[in-house]
Amino acid sequence: MRNRGLENDGMTPYLFLAPLLVLLVAFILYPVVMNIVASFTDWKGYGAMKWTGLSNYRTMIGDQAFWISITNTAILVCYIPLSTVVTVFVAALLREGLRGWQAYRAIFYIPNLLGPVIIGVVFSIYLRDDGALNLVLRTVGGPTVRFLTSPAIAINTVGLVQVVWVHLGFGLIYFLAAMNGIEQGVYEAAIIDGAGFFRTLWSVTVPSIRFAIEFWVVFNFIEVFARMFSFIYTLTRGGPGYGTFTLEYGIFSQGFEKFRVGYSSAWSVVLFFFCAVISVAQIRLMRRSAG
Amino acid sequence: MRKGSSVAVEWRVLVHVLLLALVIASLLPLYNVVIASLKSADEFVSHPFSLPKSPTGENFLYAGIDGRLFSFVINSLILVPIGLVFYLAVCISAGYAFGKMRFGAKRPLFLLVLFLTIFPQLLLATQVFKLVSLLHLTNTGPGVILSWVAYFSPFGTYIMTTYFTDMPYELVEAARMDGASHVRILASVMTPLAMPMIATIAIIGFQSMWNELPFSLLILQNQGSRTLTLGIAMMRGEYGLGVPRTSAALVIAMVVPLVMFLIFQRRITLGVTAGAIKG
Repeated sequence: MRNRGLENDGMTPYLFLAPLLVLLVAFILYPVVMNIVASFTDWKGYGAMKWTGLSNYRTMIGDQAFWISITNTAILVCYIPLSTVVTVFVAALLREGLRGWQAYRAIFYIPNLLGPVIIGVVFSIYLRDDGALNLVLRTVGGPTVRFLTSPAIAINTVGLVQVVWVHLGFGLIYFLAAMNGIEQGVYEAAIIDGAGFFRTLWSVTVPSIRFAIEFWVVFNFIEVFARMFSFIYTLTRGGPGYGTFTLEYGIFSQGFEKFRVGYSSAWSVVLFFFCAVISVAQIRLMRRSAG
Repeated sequence: MRKGSSVAVEWRVLVHVLLLALVIASLLPLYNVVIASLKSADEFVSHPFSLPKSPTGENFLYAGIDGRLFSFVINSLILVPIGLVFYLAVCISAGYAFGKMRFGAKRPLFLLVLFLTIFPQLLLATQVFKLVSLLHLTNTGPGVILSWVAYFSPFGTYIMTTYFTDMPYELVEAARMDGASHVRILASVMTPLAMPMIATIAIIGFQSMWNELPFSLLILQNQGSRTLTLGIAMMRGEYGLGVPRTSAALVIAMVVPLVMFLIFQRRITLGVTAGAIKG
């Protein structure tokens, strides 16, 4: 962002920034601050706010749904390493220049293209107890898996479909671009040394794209904490029971289904804390990459 | 074939088999929806997973007309492009200020924009809803467009900023010497040069708004004002539609994103890497 030169542009830059700043303050900054305020009140989303001190937080600590949401978010986080390994591995395979690698890349990108809402409804049909995948499983002599109707399984379904499968297509494009930046000479040297695929992957490719992998992990954390609502809403509506509740879903449920906005704001403050940490991590990565 | 391959020929076959298996597993859920959409309710009950014997378009007519999907498509095709125009104006103007202008608060303001980029929509939803009601814009296009532009602009601004920063400063300097204002420089020098990146954020913005759910869910509560994405999301909860008709609605909803992909595939691929840092 640094420019050489002497003159300062005075007030003009603020005019260029005005639309963005007005929208940011009104729709992001003010809501974040007001959430913190509302979390100490019994606000219902309309009418007056009555100060209730830490009462919402006390209720939250004793609320089973809150702890299930935290656990579920933690379970989704556990899918990030799997997602990273699978995506880097498939990208490395495609990098070998297999015939049709661009077609593979395009097909795996389709779920990203369709978006979380379409994918959520598609899988709510596909994974039903009497759905297509269970029919396939039964045909090969397997059990009926209650992908969406068992609380213990449903959150893992969300992790596998959204965190691993949907992100695969996005990650392939991203990692293939990063791998493209690696000098060919390094690979040729590795082949001359007699290194096979896995050895090359581990000691040439992965170290060279380490930066991209770090960024990918942060991106996945953002997705898990801040971008999971649309998919869960359409796949399971948060159920069965609290089976696929996350912090995001809990805020929606308390605030917009039960109109306990003050209470849902206490959940928001917890989510805000997590997101602020992730956001700072992301900014540090961006600044390191900018040099 | 690229140079520097460490996979032997016989392994390539195995890799293709592995990848094809992954492709089939990936496409099966979509195949399932497409065949169901072509079956009558009776045929779906008796033969849910075979190819349709006598394909019918009835489900599409029902989902499109009685299920109002066609009018939701039109709503989206009106709202998203209008939102996109405002989104581009905001991102280009702010990106230019951050990338090519000099002012005291640049660094803290840019950090603020970066910091606010990732907050989940549900965290903001209550207050956004309150603000939109205060402006009497619930159930209206302007209400949801405002919330979209506000929420998605920081990311687009970040991308435009990095692009404008990398452009040679001499371009601005020379134009300044000739007495051109910043508005003029942006409109007639920088914007034409930045067209490739503007096209990229246009795609990103379009996809973001087209697929957006939480704000539309809260702001557009009249059935008539729903976007396509909202219409699809609500269908799951509305009983009696049945799998074949729901599937037909899904197929209708897939048309626009797939057509976009066929036309803009290269641009969409670039969009994925534009927002990320350089590996």
